[in-house]
Amino acid sequence: MLTYIIRRILISIPTIVFVSIVVFGLQLLLPGDPALALAGEERDPQLIAELRRIYHLDQPIWRQYLIWVGNVLQGNLGESIRLKMPVGDLVTAKLPVTMQLASMAILIATCVGIPMGIVSAVKKETILDYGANVVALSGISVPSFWLGIMMILLFSVNLGWLPASGFVKPSESLSQNLKTMIMPAFVLSSVTTAIFMRHTRSAMLAVLRSDYVRTARAKGLREPRVIFRHALRNAIIPVVTLGAIQLGELMSGAVLTEQIFTIPGFGKLIVDAVFNRDYAVVQGVVLCTATGFIFLNLCADLIYFLVNPRMRG
Amino acid sequence: MSASLLAVGALSTEFKTDQGRFRAVDEVSFSLEKGRTLGIVGESGCGKSVTALSIMGLVPSPPGYIVGGSIRFEGEELIGLTTERYQSLRGNRMGMIFQEPMTSLNPAFTVGDQIGEAIIRHEQVSQAESKRRTIELLRRVRIPSPEKRYDDYPHKLSGGMRQRAMIAMALSCSPDLLIADEPTTALDVTIQAQILELLAELRAETGMAIMLITHDLGVIAEMADEVVVMYAGRVIERAPAAALFASPQHPYTIGLMGSIPRLDLEQDRLAAIEGQVPNLVSLPKGCRFRARCPFAVAACAESDPPLIEVAAGHEAACLRAPLEVA
Repeated sequence: MLTYIIRRILISIPTIVFVSIVVFGLQLLLPGDPALALAGEERDPQLIAELRRIYHLDQPIWRQYLIWVGNVLQGNLGESIRLKMPVGDLVTAKLPVTMQLASMAILIATCVGIPMGIVSAVKKETILDYGANVVALSGISVPSFWLGIMMILLFSVNLGWLPASGFVKPSESLSQNLKTMIMPAFVLSSVTTAIFMRHTRSAMLAVLRSDYVRTARAKGLREPRVIFRHALRNAIIPVVTLGAIQLGELMSGAVLTEQIFTIPGFGKLIVDAVFNRDYAVVQGVVLCTATGFIFLNLCADLIYFLVNPRMRG
Repeated sequence: MSASLLAVGALSTEFKTDQGRFRAVDEVSFSLEKGRTLGIVGESGCGKSVTALSIMGLVPSPPGYIVGGSIRFEGEELIGLTTERYQSLRGNRMGMIFQEPMTSLNPAFTVGDQIGEAIIRHEQVSQAESKRRTIELLRRVRIPSPEKRYDDYPHKLSGGMRQRAMIAMALSCSPDLLIADEPTTALDVTIQAQILELLAELRAETGMAIMLITHDLGVIAEMADEVVVMYAGRVIERAPAAALFASPQHPYTIGLMGSIPRLDLEQDRLAAIEGQVPNLVSLPKGCRFRARCPFAVAACAESDPPLIEVAAGHEAACLRAPLEVA
């Protein structure tokens, strides 16, 4: 058990190193010179040279990388050129917003997608199954920006139940916070809900045909116990693993949703940073997201390990 | 017949497939007395497993449906029984073990948990009592160090041990009937013998009846009191085991035994039965075995022969029975 965890963590390290190189390299692909952007209209050559020196833009790329990594390892993600704020502070300010959004979305997806998958597998080829499949297909195929706009139209403009945009910190007012977040979380969850439903359905269908479910029935167990204990316990294993990876997907999916609902999260931060060539912010955000993703993958493996007795040897 | 533990009469089970409906079990009748062993023999696809699942009420539906007949167990009609009542019989008065011990136990729960679950379900005993009884059952099916095995997950057990665990589960509430569907087919030969021996011992100890399904006549010879031979969904021969082996009457049974009595028509020895089981979706008219039968005559194409008594307690569904050695 312990050796497995240690081995799994060690495997993550080269991945993170690779990610950091890619993240650092990304800025080289972005068009434009940040020193020029900073120097403003006048383009004073002396100022430009000074700016290049301050931000190490005059150094060879590998040295720029090492300086950056060195700083990152000390917890210094650099400073936003535009906002004149440490990137670390920006990240800690915006990350909870996106995490709340993604967590709410995964919660909705779990509470809706998994029961829907179970029902459609148990009631295979009935109206319930077809209905659930239509919902899932819509969840995957309806673009989130469209769904978002339609929901704003319905719930904000026509019914006036929910605010169309904006964000209230949970520390200020939890009910206001939930009011602003529920629509974005729902929009963000739509694809994941559909994926959960489809995976739960196919896993349940396979398990319900299995010999051990027949054994459970041969024991005289009642159907709810057969389904929820004997079948679901096995069918849920791949879905749980998928869930951890989906949470990472949701973090990146939040970019678009945050734009639609103007929520000041990670997504908005990175979009603004890219448009302003605010490299330090882009790097910081992408590095945090990628590391988070790797961490969630690690969690997925560990969860798989915990819920699957065969893995424990 | 009223004393029979299990009386199956004209049982028919159909499956709906994309190719059409077919009758996996076609008017099958037999009975089984308390404490006896009935062997059901036939090649794969002959309907023997579906017969067993029909009795247990476990035919997957859709696509399978029992379309006719009767199954009386301890005098109670099982066809049309409420789900609740059926569930209280299964695993309690009738237990079943399956061909695949490797996949028949749930990988997510310990062996002890899965056996104890049946006891708690039917006898409402405490957790501690169910554990005590489960360990006792594991000991009875000769699983070494049962206290330790109780907490093992199925993947830690060998195929033979898993089949023993399955037997323990099926026997947990001392059923009157144990249906064993190819219990040894997936096991090594040496383990096969051990499992059969165990079943025989347990039958002697408990007085339960066993319905043993197999394609292996050797297993039948060793275990069964009476034998039902099935072919393409029908019973084609039914006899006490000794009589069946002494003078098999249906050409298919003879073929299964790998030998043919000398007849004036046919001199060759038949090592294997030539040809294929007919497609159940589009059965030919007449006897289902006709195309593969070395004794077939023109009349065999006319109608499917019913079971007729060829000797006391010995029935065969063949126009030419009794086949007399010339």
